[in-house]
Amino acid sequence: MIAHQRKLGIVIVSYVVLIVLALITILPLIWLLYTSFKPHKEIIENVFALPRVFSMDNYQRTWEFGRFGIASFNSIFYSTVATLLTTLLALMTGYGFAKFGYKRLSGFLYYFFILGLLITVHSVLVPLFIMESFLNLDDTRLGILLPYIAFGLPFLVYLSTSYIRTIPTALEEAALIDGASYIRVFWSIIVPMSRPVIGTMLIFSFLSNWNEFVFVFTLTSKATLRSLPVAVNAFAGGMARDFGLLFSALTIATIPMIVFYFVFRKKIAQGFAAGSIKE
Amino acid sequence: MPLLSEGIETRQKQRRKKRNSYALLVGPSVFLYGVFIIFPVIFSGVFGFTEWDGVGIPQFIGFDNYVSIFSDPVFLFDLRNNFLIVAISVFGQLPIGFVVAYIIYRKLVVGGKVFETVLFLPITISAVVIAILWNQIFGPSGLLTALMRLLVNDPRYVFAVFENRVFAMVPILFVILWMYTGVYMIIFIANLQSISPSVFEAAVIDGASEGQILWRIVIPAMTNILFTTSIFAISGSLKSFDLIFAMTGGGPAHYTEVVAIYMYLQTFRFYNFGYGSAVSVVIVALSLGLITLLRVSYKRIEKRFG
Repeated sequence: MIAHQRKLGIVIVSYVVLIVLALITILPLIWLLYTSFKPHKEIIENVFALPRVFSMDNYQRTWEFGRFGIASFNSIFYSTVATLLTTLLALMTGYGFAKFGYKRLSGFLYYFFILGLLITVHSVLVPLFIMESFLNLDDTRLGILLPYIAFGLPFLVYLSTSYIRTIPTALEEAALIDGASYIRVFWSIIVPMSRPVIGTMLIFSFLSNWNEFVFVFTLTSKATLRSLPVAVNAFAGGMARDFGLLFSALTIATIPMIVFYFVFRKKIAQGFAAGSIKE
Repeated sequence: MPLLSEGIETRQKQRRKKRNSYALLVGPSVFLYGVFIIFPVIFSGVFGFTEWDGVGIPQFIGFDNYVSIFSDPVFLFDLRNNFLIVAISVFGQLPIGFVVAYIIYRKLVVGGKVFETVLFLPITISAVVIAILWNQIFGPSGLLTALMRLLVNDPRYVFAVFENRVFAMVPILFVILWMYTGVYMIIFIANLQSISPSVFEAAVIDGASEGQILWRIVIPAMTNILFTTSIFAISGSLKSFDLIFAMTGGGPAHYTEVVAIYMYLQTFRFYNFGYGSAVSVVIVALSLGLITLLRVSYKRIEKRFG
């Protein structure tokens, strides 16, 4: 009886904890969404109230003033290209590390990459900025893509190497004996067999590239090269007086990622968990 | 005999082929990583010993930058703010994330998946967006002020915690909790799922209570993960930049500044490139130092109890 009551108590406390946390998480986002339809005056009058009319006016003006068209294009461009290239390079590297048997060299290089997980973006900003101006890469799309790729590599190399290690060698060896080249083996055996981890790599990489801020912010000065987070930041600085515009800008930057989240939630979770699970 | 030498030749050929393929596969990544990460890190190490405004010739000044950094009260206050973030991560995100993961994993509530989905959601939103959104909540004309005006029935009430030197970090710490706790929840759930279910079944049959299951089975199986996630929390804390930069920019009067922002301002606003490089080195050293400390203490604990 006492044990039963105790169990009930635990269940009630559990519900309270989860419901409170869920509300704290979701309410600000709901507030953001409906407030983005209110004109500035209405927001000042009452921050809580629902909009009197759902007008797209804020969105139209924000899209124009904030140059969100070009920023969205840039975000899609940087994220897609960097994600594809990083994933391809990481898979190639993972294949080399996992299957070629150069134990010493691969081991050394592997730890060399893992060390990169500890290095923060900010600790290389200064030299990166100087280096890019020296190579005339600053204020170019390439100059943004290359650091994105370099910083994405350590984690993806970690993911691909540990996955490719688990692929049985028999098939690959048979192909090599039949005279297939290593590149051929990579394309027609390793890549198809790595499909599950490729999904995680692509999605995890896309998410971090999409939300990247510092590189674009420091390495570019042109408004036409800005990604969405940087455009939102610039817009918030300039348009902070009109809350309606501000809220619609925030919503524009948020909605695609929420859709992305609901489509790929499982893969995103796998990416975050992958670094920690004991083997 | 010619057959044998042919065999050696093809084997050599194959070995060369293998070596070239390896270089082709691994080379591009190593090159990019070396040029865009390792080289800049070494660069920082060297320029940290110089005084340089980014244009002229760098002047070698030994450890002067480091001496100035550690005698700058602003830097020391920033360091204090960084440690607050480490503390909220290790003593806030980890325990809350763990409790939630445990509740969901043990199915103590119905609809655990729904809660999991909601709590993990903030991770997809850009830190800049989150910062500006919460500014609209904590700011002087924000949601919290309006809410408090209703609650205390005083139309002139203003929520002004940012203006208090001691407590200015509180809203930021709260947002950090809001943003990242879900990640730790996800990590814990994944690791709880890797504990064999038969262990639980046996415990339940033996009449173990929920508390006993938690303390005797789950916690011991999770010490390794608690350690790993603490490392994530520490290195993540020292990286915190985007959120604070977009939320307060480190202000007012450096109250919410952290070392990464200090470095940014020194370099890109005051053009002290040498000094900024030295600050970068301090950031990397701090994160390595803290992680080593954690590793050593973990080994000690493992030795005593493991």
